[in-house]
Amino acid sequence: MDKLKKRPAKGNELQLSLVDTDVHNRPRSFDDLLPYLPAGMRDRGFLIPEVATSGYANPMGVLRRDAVPEQGGPPGSCRDTLAKQLLDPYNIDYAVLTGAEIVGIGTLADYYYAPIMARAYNDWLIDIWLQDDPRFLGSLIIAPQNPVAAAQEIRRLAPHSQIKQVLMTSASRIPYGQQFYHPIYEAAQESNLPVAIHPGHEGSGITGPPSAAGYSSSYFEKHTNISQGYMAQVTSLVCEGVFEKFPKLRFVCIEGGFGWVPHLMWRFDKNYKGLRIQTPWLKRLPSEYILEHVRFTSQPIEEPPQPSQLLELFEMMHADQVLMYASDYPHWDFDSPTAAFPKLQKDLSERIFWRNAQELYGLG
Amino acid sequence: MSKRYWVCKKEELEPGACKLINADGRSIGVFNIKGTLHALRNLCPHQQGPLCLGKISGTMLPSDVGDFRYGLEDQIIRCPWHGWEFDVTTGKSVFKSDQVKLKTYPVTVESTTSKSTVETYKVTIEQQSVILHA
Repeated sequence: MDKLKKRPAKGNELQLSLVDTDVHNRPRSFDDLLPYLPAGMRDRGFLIPEVATSGYANPMGVLRRDAVPEQGGPPGSCRDTLAKQLLDPYNIDYAVLTGAEIVGIGTLADYYYAPIMARAYNDWLIDIWLQDDPRFLGSLIIAPQNPVAAAQEIRRLAPHSQIKQVLMTSASRIPYGQQFYHPIYEAAQESNLPVAIHPGHEGSGITGPPSAAGYSSSYFEKHTNISQGYMAQVTSLVCEGVFEKFPKLRFVCIEGGFGWVPHLMWRFDKNYKGLRIQTPWLKRLPSEYILEHVRFTSQPIEEPPQPSQLLELFEMMHADQVLMYASDYPHWDFDSPTAAFPKLQKDLSERIFWRNAQELYGLG
Repeated sequence: MSKRYWVCKKEELEPGACKLINADGRSIGVFNIKGTLHALRNLCPHQQGPLCLGKISGTMLPSDVGDFRYGLEDQIIRCPWHGWEFDVTTGKSVFKSDQVKLKTYPVTVESTTSKSTVETYKVTIEQQSVILHA
C-alpha cells in the first residue's frame, strides 16, 4: 500500500493505474481445501458439477501454458507467479480474485452441501490469498440455489476489508431477477457489496441448456452463446424490479461480452413504452436501471474488423460509466491491458482501466 | 542486414523442440520440425502473446461437414493466449493464411570450431551448430 499512498492525489481522490476485475486464483488441488470443510463432510470432497463431464470442455484446455508456475501446480495456484506475470509487469493496483471452477457449486442439485463448500472456499481464500498483499481483493462465493444460506454467508464475511463482491455462477436454474433470489440481494445491499456473475457452467448440473436454442455440440458454440444468458439475467433483474426493491444494489456481468448492451437497452426501452403494464413497479426506462446498476467487464473484448467500431460501441453502451477492464488471467483468452484495446481518449481510458472499478468497489 | 546468432549445438535441438533466442531484444523461437529447422518471431500478431511457448501439434484440416481429418502433425503451434494456430514451417496462420502471418527467419547448421587447452595439449573442437540469421 505504500506505493499507492505515495501517488499524487487529485483533490481527495486517489489516482490509480490499473484495476483487473477478473483474475482466477485456485488451489494446487481442491484437496488443499478439505480441512476447511466441517467434520463429517471431508470425505465427500468438493463436488463441483464439471464442465468437462457435461461435454463442454475446451479441447485445448482453459489454462495458459505460459502461466504454469515454476514450482509446479496449475496456472493461478501460485501467488508469486501471479504477481510476477500479471500484477508487477502491468502495474496493477488491485486484482479482483474470482476463483476457478468453484463458482460451479452453484449448479449442484444438493443445495445443502453447495453452501458448505462455498463457506470452505471463502475461508481458504481469506487464509491463503488475502494475507500480506493488499492488491488481492476477494470475491465471496455463494450458492444461489440456497438463497437463505447465501445471505448468511454474505453477512458473515462482508466485514472483511478485502472482500469486495459476492460472486455466483451466471448459469441459473431460474432467472436471477425472481423473488426466490431476493434474500441474496437484500444481504448484498445491506453489506454494500456488488453481486457478480461469472460464466463457465452453462449447461452443467441443474442449469438449463447453454443457449436459448438448446444444447450445442461444441464448446466453441457454447462459448459464443454465453452472452445470451447474460442478456436474459439483466432483463430479468430489471423486469422483476430488483433495482426498485434494492436501490443501492450493483450487479456485475463478468466475462459475458458487452456488444449486446446497446441492443438490449434500445429494444428494452422500446418494449417498455407499450408493455409496462406488466411491470408497473418500473418507474424509469429499463436502460436507466442498467446504466445505474449494472457493470460489465471487458474481457473477452469484442474485436470488430475496424477498431474505430469498438469506439462507437463504447459510446453507444456508455462505457465510460459501465465498463471495467479485466484480463481473465491465467485463462486461454487473456486480454492484455496494453494490446487488447485501441487507443482511447484519456478520460475514457481512466474510466475503463480503473476509475469505474474504484467507484464500484470503493477502492481507496 | 541480418546478424548471425549462435543458437545451440545441433544435437541440442531435437525434433519437436523449440529454443528461444534473444536477438538484440527480439525474442525468436528456433524450431526443429521433423528434422528441418525454422525460426519465428515469438510475438503473436493478435495481442503480442508469447506464441512460441504454445503447444506444437497438428490440427483439423478443412473438411466436409461432420468429418474430421487430422493433419499437419507436429508442425502447428498454438498461441497460449487465445489459441491462434500457425504453421511453423511457413509462419502462416491456419485461418486467413494470406493475411495473418508471422515474421520468419533463416536458420542454418554450420561447422564451428572452438579452441581450448586440455591439460597440456591444445585441442580444436569441431561441432555442428545451429545459427539463426535475424
